Amino acid sequence: MKSLPTVVVDNGAATIKAGLTDGDSEPRLVANAVVRSRGDKTTYFGHEFERCRDYSSLHFRLPFEKGYLVDWDAQKAVWDGLFSAEVLSVNAPESSLLITEPYFNLPNVQDVYDQFVFEEYEFHSYYRCTPASLIPRGDMFTDPFLAPPECMLLVDAGFSFTHVVPILNGSIVWSAVKRIDVGGKLLTNHLKELTSFRQWNMMDETYIMNNVKESCCFISTNYNRDLETCRLDPKKNAIVQEYILPDFATNREGRIRRQDDIVSDGDQILFMNNERFVVPEIIFRPDDIGLQQVGLPATIAHSISLLPEDIQGLFWANIGLIGGSTKFPGFRERLAAELRSLAPVDCEVAIYQSQEPITECYRSALAFVQEPDFQEYCVTRAEYLESGSNACRRKFKDWKLVDEKGKGAAVREPAKPKPRTEDPEESDASPPPKRGGRGRTRTTSTSTRKR
Amino acid sequence: MAPKRGRPSRQTKASTSQLAVDPEIVVKRTRRHLEELERSNYSEPSTAFTLAEDDGGEPSKSARGRARQTISDKRNYDSNGKKKKSTMNIRTALLYRKNLSTLIDESGIANLPSNAPSYLTAVTLPPREPPRLLCSVCGYWGRYKCKKCALPYCDLNCQSVHDETRCERRVV
Ligand SMILES: [Zn+2]
Ligand SMILES: [Zn+2]
Repeated sequence: MKSLPTVVVDNGAATIKAGLTDGDSEPRLVANAVVRSRGDKTTYFGHEFERCRDYSSLHFRLPFEKGYLVDWDAQKAVWDGLFSAEVLSVNAPESSLLITEPYFNLPNVQDVYDQFVFEEYEFHSYYRCTPASLIPRGDMFTDPFLAPPECMLLVDAGFSFTHVVPILNGSIVWSAVKRIDVGGKLLTNHLKELTSFRQWNMMDETYIMNNVKESCCFISTNYNRDLETCRLDPKKNAIVQEYILPDFATNREGRIRRQDDIVSDGDQILFMNNERFVVPEIIFRPDDIGLQQVGLPATIAHSISLLPEDIQGLFWANIGLIGGSTKFPGFRERLAAELRSLAPVDCEVAIYQSQEPITECYRSALAFVQEPDFQEYCVTRAEYLESGSNACRRKFKDWKLVDEKGKGAAVREPAKPKPRTEDPEESDASPPPKRGGRGRTRTTSTSTRKR
Repeated sequence: MAPKRGRPSRQTKASTSQLAVDPEIVVKRTRRHLEELERSNYSEPSTAFTLAEDDGGEPSKSARGRARQTISDKRNYDSNGKKKKSTMNIRTALLYRKNLSTLIDESGIANLPSNAPSYLTAVTLPPREPPRLLCSVCGYWGRYKCKKCALPYCDLNCQSVHDETRCERRVV
């Protein structure tokens, strides 16, 4: 089949990462929201949000609710702009599309994806899958001397929730995928509450507090010690930071106060003390806010326990972190320490941290759509016009509900995929390690986010 | 009377059973709080939001009147201006928004066998240990629990802040 220009849309609940095969290798980041700015007296659709000048009291209409696409009117408003000449200039009938969907997407919602792609935009062909399923196509785990591992366990900590996703031979093992209902949205809202109760009323300032969270928060590697440090003198200690809230003139975004910053009387200073680590701590301890779920380390251990016993060691040795909420400094260190105490003693625990965890899926997807056989995974518009969403249910290999009355549901093995090592260009790469990963010497990630 | 700082937390834990707070009420309060943490906007539900007058949208009359308005037709990116008519499926999706719990009901995933993977079965395990108590005022370890509302606090100072502010929020 001839190669078509392909659009990649990693359709996140907060941010869309999108681009074209014949465009830049870096994706365009577009807010997946319709945002109203009172100050600007304007409503921004998706990409238009770049033009926003006044970030105070923004009002958000999000297509996603708790991680699932429910508001198609808002989603279409954002997608129309994304595909238009203002962003990607997509000629849909002559293009192929790869779009991501949430883990465990509902079958009735999946049908609506198909309808929009083929009936509204009229793409020539498309492929729909979950973000983690694309990672084996990328180079996140790749080391110059090793083929991609046959077992990997991805932690996708996004805006709506956090998933632990084991992948065997390139396919997700759905019976062992586990979810924690904590994501970036909840963390920002939690920070808003703490700040509003203790210092300034920021309940309507989601955008600003999300920036504060991204600039100041970290995962504590010693919670007890850090809590004591913050208690000694709440305005002057080794942890506290002063955040200068935006004044909507010279300092539109707000920033952490530097040593040489002179603050004027009018500046509003927010003290970020134990809030810096108490907030993202919820990923590790959801019960701190009363959420009856174990944290990330125990969820990983639980997920691995559901996998075949003889290969569990390979998952412990190939853990990857993706999604914006993994960017908190200290995330990997804390996770590594806690996993070490949960893993069997003779198991190596290795965590790979994406250097760009927000766009890791996009880059993997871009590699995938450029593989010569990508079109074989796609459903064409002609097939859809012939058999409707059934065509997609039959062909898409990633997530679908088991329709047989539970027959083999829990042990449903993913179809044997073509391992990437069969790629002629990589045929001389060494085979993946067979044992519990003891042959691999790398025990830490290539890089951690610096601040 | 406020308890002294430094009282071992174990003792307080034992005494929580004598609190006059119905545990059901605490569970409800927590659930409501967790729902609040999922909101996209604090002041109003985002579904009520369409376009304001200054954007050329219709002036809003009532929530009912706005319910059938769409925003996705408010931009015209196509330079040639001709708009194709959407199919019935698309018009239905645009006009009739369903919330997640309705979609879950309609999906039928609740009727799957308990071992079939789905959104409902993918949630992780409940914690095995009781939660650690954190001061609801300052975030430090919460050694004590309010006798009226069961929220933890750490010392006299935070207790008085709690009594003056937070305690009013107790669930009735
Ligand atoms: Zn306190
Ligand atoms: Zn109270």
